[in-house]
Amino acid sequence: MTILRRAISLRLREALHGYGFIALWIVGFSLFTLFPLIETFRYSLHQVTVTAEGIRLDFVQWANYTRALFTDPNFIELVIGYAIETLVSVPIVLIFSMIIALFLNLNFKFKGLFRTIFFLPVVITSGPVIRELTAQGATSAPGIANIPAVAEFIAQLPRTLRNPTEYLLTSFILILWFSGVQILIYLSSLQKVDKSIYEAAAIDGASAWEAYWKITLPSLSTANIVNAVYTVITLSHFSENKVIQYVYNQTYAVQGGIGYASAMAFLYFAVMTVLLGIVYLFLAQQAKRERN
Amino acid sequence: MRKNWFRRFSGVRNRGINPQGFHISQLKFYLVLLPLAAFMLLPIVFIFSSAFKPPDELFAYPPRFFVVNPTLKNFTDLFSKMSSSGVPVSRYLFNSIVITLVAVAASIFVSSTAAYALSKKRFKLKQTLFAVNTVALMFVPIAVTIPRFLVIERLNLLDTFWVHILPGLAMPVGLFLLKQFMDSIPNEVIEAAQIDGASDLQIYWRIILPMIRPAIATIAILTFQAAWNNAETSTLYINTESLKTFAFYLSTLTTTATGANAVAGQGIAAAAALIMFLPNLIIFIFLQSQVMSTMSHSGLK
Repeated sequence: MTILRRAISLRLREALHGYGFIALWIVGFSLFTLFPLIETFRYSLHQVTVTAEGIRLDFVQWANYTRALFTDPNFIELVIGYAIETLVSVPIVLIFSMIIALFLNLNFKFKGLFRTIFFLPVVITSGPVIRELTAQGATSAPGIANIPAVAEFIAQLPRTLRNPTEYLLTSFILILWFSGVQILIYLSSLQKVDKSIYEAAAIDGASAWEAYWKITLPSLSTANIVNAVYTVITLSHFSENKVIQYVYNQTYAVQGGIGYASAMAFLYFAVMTVLLGIVYLFLAQQAKRERN
Repeated sequence: MRKNWFRRFSGVRNRGINPQGFHISQLKFYLVLLPLAAFMLLPIVFIFSSAFKPPDELFAYPPRFFVVNPTLKNFTDLFSKMSSSGVPVSRYLFNSIVITLVAVAASIFVSSTAAYALSKKRFKLKQTLFAVNTVALMFVPIAVTIPRFLVIERLNLLDTFWVHILPGLAMPVGLFLLKQFMDSIPNEVIEAAQIDGASDLQIYWRIILPMIRPAIATIAILTFQAAWNNAETSTLYINTESLKTFAFYLSTLTTTATGANAVAGQGIAAAAALIMFLPNLIIFIFLQSQVMSTMSHSGLK
């Protein structure tokens, strides 16, 4: 036994333990996520017909993709809408949740109660509640966009700004409900900041304002990235998302089909990756600058 | 005099940074937080009030927020529909409870062990695995429905109890969040434990798990919701009526009701939504103290 132990180098043992811990996850992940993903990509290159005997695949190369990009009248428009909405929502969610987290990190009575309330969106945005709310039209505030002054203002804006502004006004409520987990992540990294840094800064004569920009914000840079990624993902997976609903409908539609829907899913995925890339680059730049 | 007045409201300097109770200087926080908090509570209030709305209020335009004449009719309608179906309701409820409990426990175990390996262990595929997970995180679940069905069919899991639990175990979001939380645990803590002779399992169980309790509670809330609200699995993979979940059952009730009578259907749907939502809320209230408990005990200064 001892000989065998020595024969395995330390590094190998560490690696083996690592694999041991992750083995279960790898099995589950590759069976139910990775393999289906690869299969979906294969489908996206085929015309898929479901028959009584099973699934028939006819290779069509990139036809499904060109169809989604160049022929389909709805898909591109929906995706562009989604991209704009996401780029508008992410900064709002981040700023809102950061402000709330800063507040909740202060000391006052009933802090626990407030923390609970601001974490509540986690149970709201998934499941039956949001479905019921959107069904009742409560997630949008149509009243605001219909106020004459506001409508006039929107009409004055250049075309490129009009859609985002309108989206912002009508679904502001919805955007804020997406900030539960983000507040939590900010709060936890705020609490990790060493209190003595603030004390040292205060002794050196830094005001609270300066301390915020020079200490608090830089120490939140990792949390920024995590939160941005999380926000983009939850927004994109939101069950009331129009692109997702479109893909879903096309899967079972006569003229759509599984292959076509798979291709659209991959295109959507590509767009999401680009969005994440933009957000990530922006924030990583920020983080790097703050570190220097 | 003027200065004193100012001091009373700004307060921090002379009250210390850790006030024991309420002080006038805290008023400004409430001024900002109270309206926002009320705003966050709106959906919950809405769900409760719409479950008690009579039909004419449900369809009122513009929609009214609070219920004016609360009625229990929606619930009695729902229960009378329940008693007229073939399989007893308790069967569905039992399925849902067992499935949810097992799924939450198992998926926390799987994702936290994996996150521990990815965060604190050194091995070759580490970076790749996390990258693959992040990619999978981005992918729309709907797109993999059909290949996943084929996998489940080939594994002979169709129409069994396990199909409710197994596919959800390796949850990419869970791994992502847990790994991010674990990254902030200083390596020194683990090294200290190793020097004291702790094995990997002991480190995982005694050090990592207690330290990431808030993250685990968060994941528990998320998986609980995913499992409890899951009606899709029952639709896609289950044929035997007695293996289906409560969420599925409620959704069939509301859809059949809407088919027959749109007005009654809306009321039943609102009542069912409240019933589905209540366990989420209860679990949330139980776990949130864990989530919000101090996340700062890193053990190092």
